[in-house]
Amino acid sequence: MSAVRRLLCLVGLPLLLVGLLTPFLPLLLWSVAGGYRFPALLPAQTTGRGLRLLTDPQTKVLTGLENSTVIAVSVAVVAGLIGLSAGRALGMHRFRGRRLVQFLLLAPIIVPGLAVTLGIQVFFIRYGLAGTRLGVVLVHLVPTIPYVTLVMSSVYANFDPAYEEQARVLGAGPVQVQVRVTLPAVLPGLAVAALFAFLISWSEYILTLLVGGGSVQTLPLLLFAYVGSADVNAAAVLGLALVLPPMLLLGLTAVLLSGRPGPAGERALAGLGRV
Amino acid sequence: MPLLLAPALLPIVVLFLGGFAFGVAQSLGYQPYLGSRPVSLAAYRALAGDPAVRAAVGLTFRIALVSTLVSAVLAVVSALLIRRTGRGRRLVTLLFQVNLPVPHLVGAVSMLLLLGQSGLLARLGHAVGLVRAPADFPALTADRFGVAIVAEYVWKEVPFIGVVVLAALTGAVAEIEDAARSLGAGPWQQFRHVTLPLITPAVLSTSVIVFAFTFGSYEVPVLLGRPFPATLPVVAYQSYVDVDLAARPQAMAIAVVITVLVGLLVLVYLRLSERWLGRGLGGRR
Amino acid sequence: MTRARRPLAAAALALAPVLVLAGCGGGSSSTKTDATARLDPANWASVQKAARGQTVNWYMYGGEEPLNSFVNGYVAGRLKKRGVTLNQVKINDTVEAVNKVLGEKQAGKKNGSVDMIWINGENFATGVQAKLWYCGYPAKLPNSKYIDYSDPALANDFGLPVRGCETPWQRTTSVLVYNPAKLGAGDVTSVASLFAWAKRHPGRFTYPAPPDFTGSMAVRTFFYDAAGGPQQFLGGFDRRRYTAPAAKLWDRLNALEPSLWRRGTTYPAGQPDVTKLFNNGEIDAYLTYDSTAVQSGIDQGTLPKGTRSAVFTAGNIGNYSYTAIPADAAHKAAAMLLANELISPAAQLVNAGGQGAGFTPVLVTSRLDAADQARFRSLPQPPSQVPLDVLAMHTLPEVSSAYVTALEKDWKANVLQK
Repeated sequence: MSAVRRLLCLVGLPLLLVGLLTPFLPLLLWSVAGGYRFPALLPAQTTGRGLRLLTDPQTKVLTGLENSTVIAVSVAVVAGLIGLSAGRALGMHRFRGRRLVQFLLLAPIIVPGLAVTLGIQVFFIRYGLAGTRLGVVLVHLVPTIPYVTLVMSSVYANFDPAYEEQARVLGAGPVQVQVRVTLPAVLPGLAVAALFAFLISWSEYILTLLVGGGSVQTLPLLLFAYVGSADVNAAAVLGLALVLPPMLLLGLTAVLLSGRPGPAGERALAGLGRV
Repeated sequence: MPLLLAPALLPIVVLFLGGFAFGVAQSLGYQPYLGSRPVSLAAYRALAGDPAVRAAVGLTFRIALVSTLVSAVLAVVSALLIRRTGRGRRLVTLLFQVNLPVPHLVGAVSMLLLLGQSGLLARLGHAVGLVRAPADFPALTADRFGVAIVAEYVWKEVPFIGVVVLAALTGAVAEIEDAARSLGAGPWQQFRHVTLPLITPAVLSTSVIVFAFTFGSYEVPVLLGRPFPATLPVVAYQSYVDVDLAARPQAMAIAVVITVLVGLLVLVYLRLSERWLGRGLGGRR
Repeated sequence: MTRARRPLAAAALALAPVLVLAGCGGGSSSTKTDATARLDPANWASVQKAARGQTVNWYMYGGEEPLNSFVNGYVAGRLKKRGVTLNQVKINDTVEAVNKVLGEKQAGKKNGSVDMIWINGENFATGVQAKLWYCGYPAKLPNSKYIDYSDPALANDFGLPVRGCETPWQRTTSVLVYNPAKLGAGDVTSVASLFAWAKRHPGRFTYPAPPDFTGSMAVRTFFYDAAGGPQQFLGGFDRRRYTAPAAKLWDRLNALEPSLWRRGTTYPAGQPDVTKLFNNGEIDAYLTYDSTAVQSGIDQGTLPKGTRSAVFTAGNIGNYSYTAIPADAAHKAAAMLLANELISPAAQLVNAGGQGAGFTPVLVTSRLDAADQARFRSLPQPPSQVPLDVLAMHTLPEVSSAYVTALEKDWKANVLQK
């Protein structure tokens, strides 16, 4: 290896890691900062005000947390199941109109959710879905279905139908085949798909604003409101609160999938690369 | 077969296609529950003459393109660097993915606090004597080029693209590279003829996703950008919530324009990738 | 079951409880809406009875933390004693709430999710035009005896007659908040002296971009100055009177741009951004509607110690803000209770005393009992704030919201997009 390349390799990685981790620093600093003005590098005093804000019933942060969790979990479950069936259809079957179906199911990854939700909002109001958690769950399905479909179709594409055939030949009923042969094989991929759906729903702002608008407060909406106020301390604390559960969930999933993407998990991710 | 696809297609057709269709209808003047209105292209004509919209198209394209290119290049470089790591590779991979679950909204808040003129970097500059007052620090937020916006996108999307690239560079690739090396190929040739073709599909597909996302994102440019020029989604939302209901068809028109622009892109991409790479979604090789 | 049906069945089974869970709770949880029998505000006992057990969804600008504490603490507590739950819905701009009511009316929704809005000006006018408001009750509220509804200053909202469609809540006069170490007494006496100071110290002043509420006020303040006062604009919109002073205004503001923050190439998106700039020492002065929240800002740490405020010799724009109840509101009784509570002497005192946001009371002090009068007289007057009586003497009226809209549109075209 040339000297230049060696230098690049030596410096590159630390630089990368610094770049990735630095943006967390201001959140941590401002979350405990009282009276933290330019040009102070470190906060002059620390305050627990931001933290108290989290549990203060007046600020509705706990309500936001509850709404965010219920909605994101619901979306993860529903989208996961949707991905399970659609992924099977696309990954294991060839049929006419497959291209069209692929295009339709992928389109929401590409077309911004804002653009289509503006058009449909008045109907959400009309049919009583606006301002309800159900309405928000439904609208969150739009950006999540493409991802779960991508992941699951890739998983099913790499699933050898011979396993199912063998099981049937050996006398297993259709239920047993699914539950004892197919499901365990696709489960890691399903976990990844559901995780994607959870993350997307948890982080969603503009769709929740349009459909939930005021009545359904989720954590991103609350954070946006605090960012729009002069209270940086509260915004930083809420930002950290918004980040923590997904990180824990991601860590948990990684651990459950034995610490690193195994062949199934890798194929799930590679599913994203096979558009 | 259709039953398998029904749960997926139903929400997409009703909410996605329906939303788009009603957006088009409303952009042409149809206003539901308000009685019949004349149908016309007036909203689109108004868009063409609106300086905010004209400026928004250029700005949105610029930001999306720059973010995607920079993210893709940095992601490939990062993936290669990580692959080269011996000990501590698991830790490095873990750290590489640490910001994947971070919502873009939180990333935008971070960038505000980090890159603002009175933010952390500026204070660091003050500590080393380079910056005397906030105004001396370069304007990275609410600036003409959207530097902080691009920075936020790059920060989030490099690991996203990088992780997919890493997944494409499975163990088999190392064997092929070894084979190439034993046949006398130099490092650049290895990269060009072995590595690059293997990661190209992954990079291309994630890049399209990144481009589309950065094009249509709302919360990041509204927090890190300036009132004028703003990006298309920001202008669309502002027109939508304008109390003057006459602005509603214009808001829908902008939404339709966004959809068409991005939709055209993905169509072009799918055609090209089929011709060049010969593969579709999932499916066996 | 066939293989194809399996995932679908599983989906349906899992979907049902999940959707039930998602559907219940969340949203505006109301236990009961108004009875179909019409409410008679004159019969206050019946209103109180109807309100018991209701939740009132109050949509209000949520960027002022002291005000939020007042609302969710003191006011919510008082309502709780009468069996009413207060649900404050924070919004970034009042137009969002009006849009919501409008959207629900268009979509034919009967029991609206908005019970009350903190509102004035253009937004109120839009609602009047679209017939959104429930009217006829304010004068019948028990605490209305302390208010002089014939006072033209509050009988007209930005020049539009209120006609009993909203109840007053707060009065405010805008002020210039500044750093006394950087601006002298002579610099804060008028718009002209302020601009002159800005030109000598470039980059240290700015205002938020309209249609932000405060940014709009700033542009109007400069407009009054360019036109020599608001007198000729009271009354309906007259384009002939508007054009010349407006043109003069755009010239002045464009000439000012190089002396503004970021050399005027951009403007802060909203008033909280301006406050943050001031707090971080990036600017030294700004205009605000919140004349009596300066001290609480200092106490809370969102404003530096030593901050001062001032009114111009020629006066600053002031207005009343109100609470309005949509005609389609689901909980009108509870909303009326809330409107009444907000104009009670006790509530007005608590807030004026700086424990809340500290706003100027709308009550006529001579109508209060002796004890309350004494309490109002002994309200603290922190040095950072302009005394209430000085503020009262230097208040300029608002003009018709048609002028407001015209100024916002033209500012965008002539200043922002240039």
